Amino acid sequence: MAHLKFMHGDGDSHPLKIALIGNPNSGKSTVFNQLTGLRQRTGNFPGVTVEVKEGTIHFPNGQEAVLYDFPGTYSLYPTSSDEKVVATVMCNPADPFFPDVLLYVADVTKLEKHLLLFTQLLDLKLPMVLALNMADSAAGLGIKINSQKLSEIFGVPVVPISGRTGHNTMRLLLEMEKLVTQNASIVRSPFYSFTESEKQVAEAVRLNLSIEEPYRALLTAHHASWLPFLKNAEKETVAAILDTKKFQSLRAQVDETLERYDRFTPITQAAISTPPAFPNTGTDRIDAILTHRVWGPTIFFLVMLLVFQAIFDWSTYPMDWIEQGFAMLGEFFTSKLPAAWYTELLTDGILAGLGGILVFVPQIALLFFLISILEEIGYMSRVVFMFDKTMRRFGMNGRSMVSLISGSACAVPAIMSSRTISNWQERLITVMVTPFISCSARIPVYLVLIGLAVPAIKIAGVFNLQSLVFGAMYLLGLLTAFLAGWAMKRWLNRREHSFLAIELPVYRMPHWKNVLLNVWENVRSFIAGAGKIILIVSIALWALSRFGPGDAIAQAEKSALVEAAEKGKDTTATEDLVQQRRLEASWAGQAGKWMEPAIRPLGYDWKIGIALLTSFAAREVFTGTLAVLYNMGDQEADITSRSETEAKATLRQKMKAEKFSDTGKPVYSLATALSLLVFYALAMQCFSTLAVVRRETGNWKWAGLQFVFMSMLAYLAAWAVYVLFS
Amino acid sequence: MQRRYRTIKDLKINESAKAIAFEDSNLACKLTSMGVLPGTRIEMIRTSPFGSAYYVKADGVRLALREEEAASILLEI
Repeated sequence: MAHLKFMHGDGDSHPLKIALIGNPNSGKSTVFNQLTGLRQRTGNFPGVTVEVKEGTIHFPNGQEAVLYDFPGTYSLYPTSSDEKVVATVMCNPADPFFPDVLLYVADVTKLEKHLLLFTQLLDLKLPMVLALNMADSAAGLGIKINSQKLSEIFGVPVVPISGRTGHNTMRLLLEMEKLVTQNASIVRSPFYSFTESEKQVAEAVRLNLSIEEPYRALLTAHHASWLPFLKNAEKETVAAILDTKKFQSLRAQVDETLERYDRFTPITQAAISTPPAFPNTGTDRIDAILTHRVWGPTIFFLVMLLVFQAIFDWSTYPMDWIEQGFAMLGEFFTSKLPAAWYTELLTDGILAGLGGILVFVPQIALLFFLISILEEIGYMSRVVFMFDKTMRRFGMNGRSMVSLISGSACAVPAIMSSRTISNWQERLITVMVTPFISCSARIPVYLVLIGLAVPAIKIAGVFNLQSLVFGAMYLLGLLTAFLAGWAMKRWLNRREHSFLAIELPVYRMPHWKNVLLNVWENVRSFIAGAGKIILIVSIALWALSRFGPGDAIAQAEKSALVEAAEKGKDTTATEDLVQQRRLEASWAGQAGKWMEPAIRPLGYDWKIGIALLTSFAAREVFTGTLAVLYNMGDQEADITSRSETEAKATLRQKMKAEKFSDTGKPVYSLATALSLLVFYALAMQCFSTLAVVRRETGNWKWAGLQFVFMSMLAYLAAWAVYVLFS
Repeated sequence: MQRRYRTIKDLKINESAKAIAFEDSNLACKLTSMGVLPGTRIEMIRTSPFGSAYYVKADGVRLALREEEAASILLEI
């Protein structure tokens, strides 16, 4: 983790930092969106895969500050990696995220539960504003708050606000501005009084590690073993202190928590008048159905069907527009610019790459639109409750269901949707196994190969054998995903305490601003994070199939022209032949020939090898490349579009006629076709997915591991299938 | 010997009882920070569709707990 020196006092050189902190379900993100609007972006805390949202706010006096949205936290005694981030930053004034001012958000309708973390932060003696959120619902429920009294007792400004309506946002900004400009040192008596042993431990840690605040010293004592910024010598020092004082950390944490409740419960009771009971029967009635034994899962699968429909079907319209738009743009440039390598770089490299990025946007936007709504209304935690056990067996989380189901449309948005899983290991496993689910890009490959290898006969008079095999491919992907999850769980086997223990929040209408900002933020981070990589790889793949060693390409072109002239071919046929020969002579073609010995055991020849390489940009390129290699006309070759059954039939005929150059046997035997099917079902043949995995896990390690593992598995399985059927 | 306590697992649907203590200190840390304290009345609402998780209400807060988590919360008889 980077250590920036805390530059207190030298004014402009460090931007003012404000930390937004609060419990989960306190409406914190609504407040964040209210304060920052579109001036926000998502990043990661260094070293961990916990997200931090960062936004700019302006005080009424024009001063600018950075607002960091920390993950929802119950306590500075963390039980998850999300919560550990907050404790880490608060324990380390040198941390780049360490705030100048704290903005604490509490749900005023649950104030007696939401002040624990607040009182802990009070004892760190940072300037702080307490925002009592959902003041509008509180008024509706007949809850009266005496914020003046709370402010006097806690010694911090207290502002009742509503993140949804924006009520009192200005006052909140004014109070923060006041804290910043006054810059007065904070004199507060500690909220929590240490026990005798806590005093001794905190004092010893304070002196040895030169920490100013006693409570920060106590926190450091509790957390020393895992705090990432402590040096080993410091960890040993603290461990020795804990040992000599026989300090029981966990016990002390629970006792302190209870003591804090005992102290602030009377305060909240005095400052807030709550009507006798507001049982929220609406939520209970909804949950009686949505978490019902039978109806719960049924409704969930119907909802998932809707999600699937959205990304599989509805998004194809905007996707087609984007593809057509880029195709037209490419044609335009081809016709206007001279026929040279740089025109091809522009059309086949850059434009194809940009199109390849943008084409994902409709799916990502639609998926996140639906997921944000489900998250906003409070449904997602019910999903976790219902599927916790099922998914935990395979190392995942109830929320992973959404990723896996979305994965059958496209792994890219599906992997991004795993962001809602807070447990790192469960999220990692979800990210790693989602690409096994057969995505829509595999469909054209499946269709061509199944049509080639599987006879169109009926089984038992009802089932079409081809459809059965098609279904079996999906089942293969699903089973492999679960098996891989199970294996990864065994392999990682972290002894980290994992809890379900989640709050099931009250159902409420989605706040549309949150939904739309969430969609925007996810689309933006996909384009900025994974898009760059996709563009670079697209250009690299173009270069590989455009250029060859020495003058091989020019030679191939010449001999193709001679051959075409001899056979008396027309212009299009000549062009097709030239294209075919050029691809064969290119680096990609060379690589295909070079790798033939490696893929021959699977029953593939070098042409399939080329298609395997080029389809690394996107699986559906497989059929397009084969069309070029088997010298199909342009019109025939457009088989990626689902309606072009004729083109598929033509390709199939060409494939059937293909023979191995040495043995003279047909390339596409049943065994080869099945082996290719299995290979495509299991292999990581999608660079966009790898780019997203890198973006989501923070480095190339997991993306690389995923690539190696899936490729090896695909290779072995394809080989086994080939051997079995030949 | 007669047991002096029971756990959430022993509660019938719609039955409630006061929590006395937590057996697992890690979970105690988590639950107390969420506002489930000794003395909090816990009501069993339902079990999850595929079993092994419980939907409970603790002092108005709706919570989902795993079987083993529920088993570590001791309730008064």
